[in-house]
Amino acid sequence: MNKASLTKHFAAAALASASILSATAAMAGEITVWCWDPNFNVAIMKEAGARYTATHPDTTFNIVDFAKADVEQKLQTALASGTTDALPDIVLIEDYGAQKYLQSFPGAFAPMTGKVDYSGFAPYKVQLMTVDGETYGMPFDSGVTGLFYRRDYLEQAGFKPEDLENITWNRYIEIGKEVEAKTGHKMLTLDLNDGGMTRIMMQSGKEWYFDNDGNLNIEKNAALKAALEAQVTAVKDGIVRPATGWTDYVAGFTSGDVASVVTGVWITGTIKAQADQSGKWGVAPTPRVDIDGSVNASNLGGSSWYVLESSKEKDEAIDFLNEIYAKDLDFYQKILTERGAVGSLLAARSGKAYQEADPFFGGEQVWQKFSDWLAQVPPVNYGIFTNELDTAVTANLPSLQNGTPVDDVLKAIHDQAETQIQ
Amino acid sequence: MASARRGSLKRYYDVNGWLFVTPALILIAIFLFYPILRSLSLSVYSGRGMMMKFAGFGNIVRLWNDPVFWTALGNTVTFFVIQVPIMIMMALILAAVLNNPQLKLKGLFRTAIFLPCVSSLVAYSILFKSMFAVDGIVNRILETVGIIDAPINWLTDPFWAKVLIIIAITWRWTGYNMIFYLAALQNIDKSVYEAARIDGVPSWRRFLHLTIPMLKPVILFTTITSTIGTLQLFDEVYNLTEGKGGPANATLTLSLYIYNLTFRFMPNFGYAATVSYVIVLMVAILSFLQFYAARERK
Repeated sequence: MNKASLTKHFAAAALASASILSATAAMAGEITVWCWDPNFNVAIMKEAGARYTATHPDTTFNIVDFAKADVEQKLQTALASGTTDALPDIVLIEDYGAQKYLQSFPGAFAPMTGKVDYSGFAPYKVQLMTVDGETYGMPFDSGVTGLFYRRDYLEQAGFKPEDLENITWNRYIEIGKEVEAKTGHKMLTLDLNDGGMTRIMMQSGKEWYFDNDGNLNIEKNAALKAALEAQVTAVKDGIVRPATGWTDYVAGFTSGDVASVVTGVWITGTIKAQADQSGKWGVAPTPRVDIDGSVNASNLGGSSWYVLESSKEKDEAIDFLNEIYAKDLDFYQKILTERGAVGSLLAARSGKAYQEADPFFGGEQVWQKFSDWLAQVPPVNYGIFTNELDTAVTANLPSLQNGTPVDDVLKAIHDQAETQIQ
Repeated sequence: MASARRGSLKRYYDVNGWLFVTPALILIAIFLFYPILRSLSLSVYSGRGMMMKFAGFGNIVRLWNDPVFWTALGNTVTFFVIQVPIMIMMALILAAVLNNPQLKLKGLFRTAIFLPCVSSLVAYSILFKSMFAVDGIVNRILETVGIIDAPINWLTDPFWAKVLIIIAITWRWTGYNMIFYLAALQNIDKSVYEAARIDGVPSWRRFLHLTIPMLKPVILFTTITSTIGTLQLFDEVYNLTEGKGGPANATLTLSLYIYNLTFRFMPNFGYAATVSYVIVLMVAILSFLQFYAARERK
């Protein structure tokens, strides 16, 4: 055998084995998943995939980690162009965007009514993924919020954990001023270019950018008004460390710079990633806005898994989600304690992980607390224009800071929003 | 004469010639003409995602009433009205200085000034972000030198955010324009300058009355390309403001607005196409005006 024919043989063999490999891979079903946040969604999906592979050895998972904005952009581009090859089998979508995708790309997502027992999930989650009586997707985590604070800093300033129970934002700002005066630490880090804080505050006041009929609800929205005023007061009173962008925001509290952070429970994984701060943190209820009917509970984000209608592995993907996310209670205990994921499967809440005390938070039963607050989160209609409204709010916040009366600012937000939501 | 015309016509009907250019023509048709025509037809449609309906002039009416569009247009115009002249002047001066035969380490300076425009966009945006942070090096230097008392909120104050974008694009593109001037300067006959020097013309007048007029075609070229570049400004703003054009829409450009309308907001491809045609129109008008201003007068 001369050299040339040997090479040929090798090439043929390589080609053949490659095609065999790809054929078996296709038959076994590789499920591709797009999601964001390596500490949270990605890690949780890997765990879920490993559990499914244990009982279905032929199924493999390809979990792709993007930034959230990239997932959304790629999804939107692929859906718009109609090139379904580029799409994954399962994609993670944040709750605020669910209706937007379902309504503007009809037929793109696989309906799962009848395949999944939705009665086991928190009703608000199911409602978010239902269009015209058809339900899509697998409800995943809740974004129930809490006030995470540094015990040590608050103690130095003379406050006990009880002092943070069920307070208003005004009280929170007063405490912040004391903390700043006595410890030199700012009370919170705030990115005024991000609408998240406004949404947390507004939802605790039982309102949203839209009323239940989907009409704009800005100028008479007392909760929104209070939310804007509270943020500007916090900045003016000097208790805020301004942040530009997410990385900077996270660095604010992970570095030990600021004394507290008010956000969704999903941040727990990020906070606990700082092992040296163990025992120094505590959790209290979300402050409420100073209006009648406001509660000490709110929500930020939360997301769900959706299967693409075009997926070759559609049935397998649905079966996988159903088996792990709708039935595996032990899975929920694990992702709760390891990642701080408060799932929306109601049965999972009776698990013993919810009763456990967490030494990182000074031995408090934090999961039980979040579970209780979750039940109090006021349901609101998120509608389909969260990004547009966020932009309108952040664009007009600086003028409120510069002394424009709040009613004029609300009018400006309303006017900007009106042209954006056609 | 007649045979010459026949010759060119023959060439016109020559199949072989057409065969050679066909691949290029097909590619141009698919990737240039089709998108142009498709976006033009898109611009009379409106709707959410794939649910498009014919809207006629609806998008133009919406454009007219859209405060965000006007903000984006205002920002874009501000950027090129302020930034392009600054950059062109700086590039001209730098080119004139670096063309000086007595200057040592010319190659080093030229490379250093040209380098920004080949650096990675994302890397430089991240670098700028950390340099211009509230506790970043720029504020610290300005405070040490005593120019400012309190740190400037480069990224959170609407005015300073605009200034930062202007600084960023000037830093990136000045060297690029300078290279064009340097190349043009090399082509100017040295005897012109010598004659002027012998006549006792001071150096600044030589720059003003010899260099600039002789570089006019190149200046026209760089002004037009810079104007087009600024009208399409996207990357810098996107990376420095996390894709939002903040604070308070102060750095929102038309391109970023188009991006938001397609990928961040409820996708409305029709309206986004309409906004993109505003850029096309502005590029056409401004280029025409610049050609007109720089025309040869009899």
